[in-house]
Amino acid sequence: MIFHVDASTGKTLGIVDLSGRLDAANSSELLKSFAVWQQQANMFVFNCTRLDMIDSSGLGAIVACLRKALEKNGELKLAALNQKVSMVFELTKAKKLFSIFPDTGSAIQSF
Amino acid sequence: MIIKENVCNNITTINLWGTLDATTAPTLRNFKSAAAPADPVVINMSDVDFLDSSGLGALVGLTREKREQGGEVTLACMNNKVRKVFEITQVYRLFDIYDDVEAATINAEKKQTRL
Amino acid sequence: MKTLIIIKEKDYAWLRPIFTGIHPLLVPICNKPFIEFLIDFAILAGSDALRILSDGPLSDVEEYCDNGSRWGIAISYGSIKSSDETLLIMEKNHRYCAGERVLLMNGFVFIEYDKQHNYTALFAELPDGEILGCNKGSLSLRGTPGERPKVAGALPLSLVELDSLEVYYRLSMEILSFGESPYVIPGYSNEAYCHIGRNVVISKSAEIRKPVIIGNNVQIMADSIIGPLAVIGSNVIIDKASTVTDSIVLEKTYIGEQLEVQNRIAAGNILIEPESGISIAMDDPHLLTGIKKSGSAEILFQSVVHRLFALFLITVLLIPFLLLSPILKFQRKWKKSTGSYYINDAGKTLALTTTSINRQSLPGSIAAALSLDRFGLLFNVLSGQLAIIGSTPIAAKTDNSVPLLEMGSWYKAGVFSYAEAEEWPANGDERAIVERYFAVHGNPLLDIAMTIKAFFNLIHEIHTP
Repeated sequence: MIFHVDASTGKTLGIVDLSGRLDAANSSELLKSFAVWQQQANMFVFNCTRLDMIDSSGLGAIVACLRKALEKNGELKLAALNQKVSMVFELTKAKKLFSIFPDTGSAIQSF
Repeated sequence: MIIKENVCNNITTINLWGTLDATTAPTLRNFKSAAAPADPVVINMSDVDFLDSSGLGALVGLTREKREQGGEVTLACMNNKVRKVFEITQVYRLFDIYDDVEAATINAEKKQTRL
Repeated sequence: MKTLIIIKEKDYAWLRPIFTGIHPLLVPICNKPFIEFLIDFAILAGSDALRILSDGPLSDVEEYCDNGSRWGIAISYGSIKSSDETLLIMEKNHRYCAGERVLLMNGFVFIEYDKQHNYTALFAELPDGEILGCNKGSLSLRGTPGERPKVAGALPLSLVELDSLEVYYRLSMEILSFGESPYVIPGYSNEAYCHIGRNVVISKSAEIRKPVIIGNNVQIMADSIIGPLAVIGSNVIIDKASTVTDSIVLEKTYIGEQLEVQNRIAAGNILIEPESGISIAMDDPHLLTGIKKSGSAEILFQSVVHRLFALFLITVLLIPFLLLSPILKFQRKWKKSTGSYYINDAGKTLALTTTSINRQSLPGSIAAALSLDRFGLLFNVLSGQLAIIGSTPIAAKTDNSVPLLEMGSWYKAGVFSYAEAEEWPANGDERAIVERYFAVHGNPLLDIAMTIKAFFNLIHEIHTP
């Protein structure tokens, strides 16, 4: 999980690069880190290019992040989901909650 | 275990009777066929009523030996019990299996004359 | 008339990675195993006997179909080689084929027919030769090569090449869409487009939208929506507020809460997109899981026996091990290497430390004779990861898909192998023969006897190099 701030479009966007597996082992870590990142930005893009697998607790963590962002009038968008991750999103009703973009660039432009 | 050879359609058939297990497998392993080393043989299994892993070992060994000398072993008339052993061990991949001795010998002969 | 069904492994190879552990002939199409459609058709065509031939394993099919008395047709089985032509196959089954007309169903193809039609009369009129053909298979009478017979009008028959998951999915959906099915579909059906099996519990608030087919022992929980176009296999649980549409849920699958299964095939913990063939395995009890039977008492007993015997061997070998291994290590004749090996048929791997002993000295040959190179592995038996006797461990390769398929359900890695006990040639394929034999015929006591036999054979092997 790597966090950096992108201001290329004039807005302060928090970009989070997720990698490997997001499951019960590291989903609470994401939630904790997200609270810290929220002090630096309230618009977020989760770049999932290198995210291989996600399970229900990982999904729950991402939904919780979205809820936290919305509470502060922010936004959370997802970018570059691979086929496996997007199949999990489609299976659960979570897909409807998110704006999903094919790549990080277009997600950044959309704000 | 009784082993008896006879000739059917110019091809040597080896008829087996009885059980083929650890006690009788050496008999088959040491059996010297009258057929020339490179000639095909058909093994008639119709009266084999039991087969275990040692018996299989003897059959596989005999076949390997025959193939090294350029011959071929064909099996015929397996009963259900024997076929099930072939099935679980997947030995069927190694053999041509016929349901009729005569058809097996005719084909073995055809194959030989073609060569 | 008699029927010969010829199915070769290469025709269904595509299916194996998707439906692991189920024989392709038993893959359910609308909850009915594929072979049953063929059997039904053979009966409609007027056959009183049917023989299934394959170059691959048939034991699962045999277990399911048995002698065919359930359908009133005599079913037998046989083996062929992958390279066999149809004519040779007919000759190999000379006794069976002799004197009667034979209907040949060749290849992994689905025959589209109509149960209302009188095929017995139709086939009686048809001359010998191919009736229908496609790239993947054919339907013929007697199989004599020759020109195609002239038949007045179109045949009330067609072939579907079962060669991809997409075809499988489409076929299932088509069968589902027939109100008055041309096939015999399992389940109760007092209205069109709806077949429901035994012991199906449907919650009051759940909604069933036709057409659907539901198998036996299915639980559909509150607020879930099934259909339109859903095939639910047997022993399936659909949890609360989930939706299943345009999908096939295969048997023993659990669909978690609040899920939307749409245009998918769910098989155990695997979710597949039929068009692209992409599949993912869910390792998550809240999403999808395969419903499994718990291990039987016999397996428990076997593992206890294996552990006890391993413990016994450890105590016996402990002193020689403590005496010899330092000497050999000092002489650098004790080489250890660690590698990843498959330990069961599910493809679970384990890092094992294997030892090789240089036998060119007295301590070396004693250590080898006592199988001290296996000493470390005995501890893996105590922890239940290895069997005391089983298959020779297969090294896991990075490309693990291929050897996994070749491993049968019989595979269980052991410290000693049955091949060692039976003094079988250590050649890969042939070793597998004896290992499979004992995987089926084994029992705990025989295992101990075989371990002792293997142990002594290894001593013998050293004296006669």
